[in-house]
Amino acid sequence: MSAHNRGTDLDLSWISKIQVNHPAVLRRAEQIQARRTVKKEWQAAWLLKAVTFIDLTTLSGDDTSSNIQRLCYKAKYPIREDLLKALNMHDKGITTAAVCVYPARVCDAVRALKAAGCNIPVASVATGFPAGQTHLKTRLEEIRLAVEDGATEIDVVINRSLVLTGQWEGSDFIKTSTGKETVNATFPVAIVMLRAIRDFFWKTGNKIGFKPAGGIRSAKDSLAWLSLVKEELGDEWLKPELFRIGASTLLSDIERQIYHHVTGRYAAYHDLPMS
Amino acid sequence: MAATRAAPHACEIFTSLEYGPVPESHACALAWLDTQDRCLGHYVNGKWLKPEHRNSVPCQDPITGENLASCLQAQAKDVAAAVEAARTAFKSWSAQPGVVRGQHLTRLAKVIQKHQRLLWTLESLVTGRVVREVRDGDVQLAQQLLHYHAIQASTQEEALAGWEPMGVIGLILPPTFSFLEMMWRICPALAMGCTVVALVPPTSPTPLLLAQLAGELGSFPGILNVISGPASLGPILASQPAIQKVAFCGALEEGRVLRRSLAGKCVELGLALGMESLLLLTDTADVDSAVEGVVDAAWSDRGPGGLRLLIQESVWDEFMRRLQERMGRLRSGQGLDGAVDMGTRGAAACDLAQRFVHEAQSQGAQVFQAGDVPPKSPFYPPTLVSNLPPASPCAQAEVPWPVVVASPFRTAKEALAVANGTPRGGSASVWSERLGQALELGYGLQMGTVWINAHNLRDPSVPTGGCKESGCSWHGGPDGLYEYLRPSRTPIQVSCLSKNMNYDTFGLAVPSTLPAGPEIGPSPAPPYGLFVGGRFQAPGARSSRPIQDSSGNLHGYVAEGGAKDIRGAVEAAHQAAPGWAGQSPGARAGLLWALAAALERRKSTLASRLERQGVELKAAEAEVELSARRLRAWGARAQAQGHTLQVSGLRGPVLRLREPLGVLAVVCPDEWPLLAFVSLLAPALACGNTVVMVPSAACPLLALEVCQDMATLFPAGLANVVTGDRDHLTRCLALHQDVQALWYFGSAQ
Repeated sequence: MSAHNRGTDLDLSWISKIQVNHPAVLRRAEQIQARRTVKKEWQAAWLLKAVTFIDLTTLSGDDTSSNIQRLCYKAKYPIREDLLKALNMHDKGITTAAVCVYPARVCDAVRALKAAGCNIPVASVATGFPAGQTHLKTRLEEIRLAVEDGATEIDVVINRSLVLTGQWEGSDFIKTSTGKETVNATFPVAIVMLRAIRDFFWKTGNKIGFKPAGGIRSAKDSLAWLSLVKEELGDEWLKPELFRIGASTLLSDIERQIYHHVTGRYAAYHDLPMS
Repeated sequence: MAATRAAPHACEIFTSLEYGPVPESHACALAWLDTQDRCLGHYVNGKWLKPEHRNSVPCQDPITGENLASCLQAQAKDVAAAVEAARTAFKSWSAQPGVVRGQHLTRLAKVIQKHQRLLWTLESLVTGRVVREVRDGDVQLAQQLLHYHAIQASTQEEALAGWEPMGVIGLILPPTFSFLEMMWRICPALAMGCTVVALVPPTSPTPLLLAQLAGELGSFPGILNVISGPASLGPILASQPAIQKVAFCGALEEGRVLRRSLAGKCVELGLALGMESLLLLTDTADVDSAVEGVVDAAWSDRGPGGLRLLIQESVWDEFMRRLQERMGRLRSGQGLDGAVDMGTRGAAACDLAQRFVHEAQSQGAQVFQAGDVPPKSPFYPPTLVSNLPPASPCAQAEVPWPVVVASPFRTAKEALAVANGTPRGGSASVWSERLGQALELGYGLQMGTVWINAHNLRDPSVPTGGCKESGCSWHGGPDGLYEYLRPSRTPIQVSCLSKNMNYDTFGLAVPSTLPAGPEIGPSPAPPYGLFVGGRFQAPGARSSRPIQDSSGNLHGYVAEGGAKDIRGAVEAAHQAAPGWAGQSPGARAGLLWALAAALERRKSTLASRLERQGVELKAAEAEVELSARRLRAWGARAQAQGHTLQVSGLRGPVLRLREPLGVLAVVCPDEWPLLAFVSLLAPALACGNTVVMVPSAACPLLALEVCQDMATLFPAGLANVVTGDRDHLTRCLALHQDVQALWYFGSAQ
């Protein structure tokens, strides 16, 4: 992670001056996919880049050490070796950006990654995920325990009651939502967030990261997200330090697309290793 | 599975994350051109027409310059043939019930849907516009237009009962038009029962494809005929006897030429000129979205021309920074590339932009260009011009594509003054999150179409048009239908072009007047003078003209008005205009009723004056009564007038305002000196305009009688009456550039 956000004094006038015109933002969102597409080698390269932004996530009630181990292995080897070889990318060390798990599973994740010989960070969700309606004391304790277990990134759920009453906190990254809501990462919301990040950078020089999560399942979607960040923030933000995609099934769709690019055929379900 | 494809670039792309080209194949367009052996003719009456001995002009790819096909240059004979075909088709097409016409249009829409890829590929290839815009914008909107007008056609009998289709419509298109502009005109014309002859420049084959698709539907060949030919054939097309109306869209100069050449030919003319639009940004706007609005307006191949930006000073720096940043992300390239924002408009457009930018620089402006654009012509990068002094010639000229000229303003009042200070009145957008401010600016802008917090949104049911120099034809929505309709049973007008019309000498000389005997008339005689600014004034020329009655005796003298008096009258009318336009419809109705009552009180005087002019007493009294009645009728209509709120598919309501034009000049006919005067005065006033009237030359005394009442009832300057030599005054009015409209009833000249 790059330098932490040193923060600034809370200046609420910034927030009150902001104007957002909803229909205009919706129009811009509709245009993203129509204005920019990538095909062929460009698509393959972009998809591989997208892989390096993924926070490979598993947040199910029935997570155990076995599926965590499978996940961590997949994080280290996201794309099949021969496909990478065909693209001449097998020696670039392509892995996902992080592995994201519940606090109780952080230990298992750290162990599995060590066994795979991999130094990908382990991210933990914390602070009463997904609703955030727990006491401050237990939320702080969750974070402490997760960090003790070896997590190096924490996805914090903000206290929405504080938001709705106008009491703000600062952060290094902003995330669209937990992924557990009915509507998660949509383009209009993202556009507004990205513009806010850019404004903050212009005002303070601090670069804040962005992570959309929830509902990003197809490779085509991920390309649109990359394009969106590239258009609104520029190439500097297209790095794992500043951009993450929270996803779980996205990786397999990307792998299938790359398979198609390399071989010209559509893979069957059993052709590609599961994660 | 063994790998079967090598991708040597993947590593570089992985690091740079650049965009690559996404070319669309234009094979289908070439295949269609091949079906005509790359040699296109005209499409008339459902068949290709390839007359011999015509020059041919190559149709080139604007980027590579490669010859795609050759198109014919038509001659007058071809035009005549097409008009004849359209005229014959008109007889059966207009006789069809509206439902049948509607169904035919729906079938055409389906055919377009089936061949849309061919259509958009051909259009993008030939015009250089980006395929995304043609595919997602033009072609879809074209289908929507057809469906909308199909429905309008099917309800035509009930909804538009007193109106009939005009006849054959001639459509003249400039060298750089889009397929969509053509559809905006063809759809309502066909729906209402007219047939169309389109004269297109030889460099664009898309209309020919459209005509072929329409012709192949089979049932009504000849409703859409397309001839490719030079612009000089425009007047020839217009002068064909069967043509009832000519619709033109394009550049200002060509429109002027057309207007001049069509004068007196009793062909109606619908003009939509100028391609520039305006974007007004206030400090309470969503600046990022406004930047996107600028991109939509100027750099997305959606609008035809450049953009003028008016930005409130307090957000100038912030806006400029964001705009320049956004410009850096724009991509320009081949039209058929799927990942570019804008294409090209051809070498001519590129040169025009180049010249404008150089001139602007020499006049002191700053120029900023950015974007990923291929360096050579005919590509021109998105350009932002700022710091252009407002008085410089470039600031007055129309802004070409893809240039955006930005200027600051301090208050809303200043913004309106700057925005309305150009002769162009096409379209504009206002960006503000404060509703009151947005509406105030929207009302104040003298533009045909104003969008709030959006730009260039189009929908078939929403009428768009222009004002001032941008022409006054309206397209779209129920209002747009009237462009191609006229009241039922209108008599055919005869062309009244006078052969020896000399514009320079017309109406210059004023015959001198000499005393001609004692005035005999009912006393009191009306006050002597011109009725200007609410009172009777002596004429500038200080002379009079005699008015004779039906037995040749002198009825009275009236003042001889001249150019100065016209100027004064127009000024007075302009001063009264804002107040009158701001009156509520009820107040206007009240005033007209008051005038009607005054007319009735004056009935005996008016009747006796009419008798002097040879009208029988009974008829005279009837005329007075009818005049009063007309005034009342128009007063009632004034009150009932409403603006409408429309809901369309555009994510927000549409407000259709009927605004008064401003100052109207009316030259009354000789007959019915009282009735005509009143009948022309009333509608103009009822709609909120102020008037300058030249009453009947034969007997203006009646008008002056009415003026006495107007002096007491009306606000000053509302109605102004100038008597004098009709030709001379008409000339003065016509040459006065601040008169918004002129109604003329008079001689052929």
